[in-house]
Amino acid sequence: MNTTPSLPDKVPVLIAGGGPVGLSLAALLAHHGVPCLVLEADPSWCEGSRAICLSRRSLEILGWVGADSPVTAKGLPWVGGRSYFRGTEVLHFEMPSEPAERFAPMVNIQQYYIEQFAHAAAVRAGGVEVRWSTRVSAVRPQASGVDVDCQSENGRTHRIHADWLVACDGGRSTVREQLGLQLEGMQYEGRYVIVDIEQDTRRQVERLAWFDPPSNPGSTILMHRQPDNVWRIDYQVADHEDPVDAVKPENVLPRVQAHLDMIGETAPWKPLWISIYNAKCLTLPRYRNGRVLFAGDAAHLVPIFGVRGLNSGLDDAGNLAWKLALVRQGRAGDGLLDSYSSERVLAARENIAFGSKSTEFMAPPHHGFELLREAALRLALVTPGVRSLINPRQTSPVEYVNSPLNQPDQGTAFTGGARAGMPGPEARLRTLQGLGHLTALYGSEFVALYFSNNPRLPDRVQRLAADSVVLAAGSAVAALRLVRVSAKGGPDSRTVADDLGQAWQRYDAIEGTLYLIRPDGYVMGRWREASSAGMDIDRVLKRALKDPG
Amino acid sequence: MNSTELELTYTALAESIARVGETKTSLLLATLALDLLSRQPDADAALTYILQAERLANI
Repeated sequence: MNTTPSLPDKVPVLIAGGGPVGLSLAALLAHHGVPCLVLEADPSWCEGSRAICLSRRSLEILGWVGADSPVTAKGLPWVGGRSYFRGTEVLHFEMPSEPAERFAPMVNIQQYYIEQFAHAAAVRAGGVEVRWSTRVSAVRPQASGVDVDCQSENGRTHRIHADWLVACDGGRSTVREQLGLQLEGMQYEGRYVIVDIEQDTRRQVERLAWFDPPSNPGSTILMHRQPDNVWRIDYQVADHEDPVDAVKPENVLPRVQAHLDMIGETAPWKPLWISIYNAKCLTLPRYRNGRVLFAGDAAHLVPIFGVRGLNSGLDDAGNLAWKLALVRQGRAGDGLLDSYSSERVLAARENIAFGSKSTEFMAPPHHGFELLREAALRLALVTPGVRSLINPRQTSPVEYVNSPLNQPDQGTAFTGGARAGMPGPEARLRTLQGLGHLTALYGSEFVALYFSNNPRLPDRVQRLAADSVVLAAGSAVAALRLVRVSAKGGPDSRTVADDLGQAWQRYDAIEGTLYLIRPDGYVMGRWREASSAGMDIDRVLKRALKDPG
Repeated sequence: MNSTELELTYTALAESIARVGETKTSLLLATLALDLLSRQPDADAALTYILQAERLANI
């Protein structure tokens, strides 16, 4: 008997695609009090490891909905990597990392776990329904929303009216096709085979790359460890090889065996998953079309090198969720969603620029890049100065330069810290709950960080703590939380103790400095001497949200 | 030269090689190398670079 309840006829937010971006967005929206329906064509979480490297920034975003702890409990943290030319190490890189940090720079974990944990977070937050084996078949934008036809397993078509539709339906997005929109950009010819194998290993977790290794002369090989004794192995196939033949086990397994032999991994192994990939640099020119928004691979496709695919998709979700919640709750004009588009298109273009550079090295697109790579790898043996050319340029959060939400610095000039449009820096702190991290305060509402060693706040700052001056009471995401960052003395209910001085230093603070942090952890504005200069944070918030840009 | 400038230089030379085509690549690189070697303080310095490049090419 089919006991599946029927689909609703109307929903506030419909998310097309229940991959890692769609499920994370659902959890984030639910966290901000917006119910949503997720439709996924596949019957469950994905097969194959797919995206496996989660950045520190992605872990922070997952942390807003409590999906970070299952990832870090299961995943394998790492900080750097090594590259070899033939048998010799030519690069050892390390990403920024410090003792007692909240998250490692990168954590390896199979995508199906990320989906599972994001899904669980969405269910926990409440108000999210996920329908598997249900595909979007038609999309008709209307003035007040979007009519969406979807087909469930039994083949029946159901029509849903959504106030907002978010396309998280991947590289071959049905929503994008239905709207007649085209990705713009280019793709590279060079192909990589992707293989997951299961094998016991004790090797350190790091990114490993071999250029022209004796095991597979002429090829490039990448290896990453994953949980559950799984290796991800990527290797470049020659231009003349047929892509269909390239993924046949009889062609894949001997190459893997040769390489495992070369590096001394001798435990028995078995293949789990084989796929093939070529680098694409594509994006929509805009991620908002009326009531339809695009996120993740539906919006942009970036090269695998530098792990900017899923990580940028999660940043899309983190950027969109609070804005859509404010618009949906009537706390902000829908122009706020245009800032989602402009900020994240800018991020995609930067990711594409870095991804292209990495691809030109990892899969040289022509004779010129092939020759230069040969030269760089050889020179790297004797000239450390050229080794930066081999660095994989791993993902990092993008600065939203010229965002309409950025407030210009006012009053006394900062000489450091984070400008409006940059992510708020991390710092180790002491709170009433014990040792903690500054970024753990972000992700729910606006935060006003007030740097002062005086527990008595000036009236104009004190006023910020009162609900009456913020946008509205009763909407968590529209609230403003005032946090005093004190370099002296202990924490209290709204004071964090900056014992190490990291926060004061990284925010370039003096007594009376104030930062306005967006719900996604980005700096919106800052005032070096808030108590004396014209610090009108409530007016700034109201103007920016009602009429951004 | 910092790493950003090195990367720009790397890309510019790769694209230049692609523009002249494979048949003229050696000529392009020899011209470039001779120009840069002529700016070395003396022949010994230049010879060191030449022998290093020869050794790396034979790896």
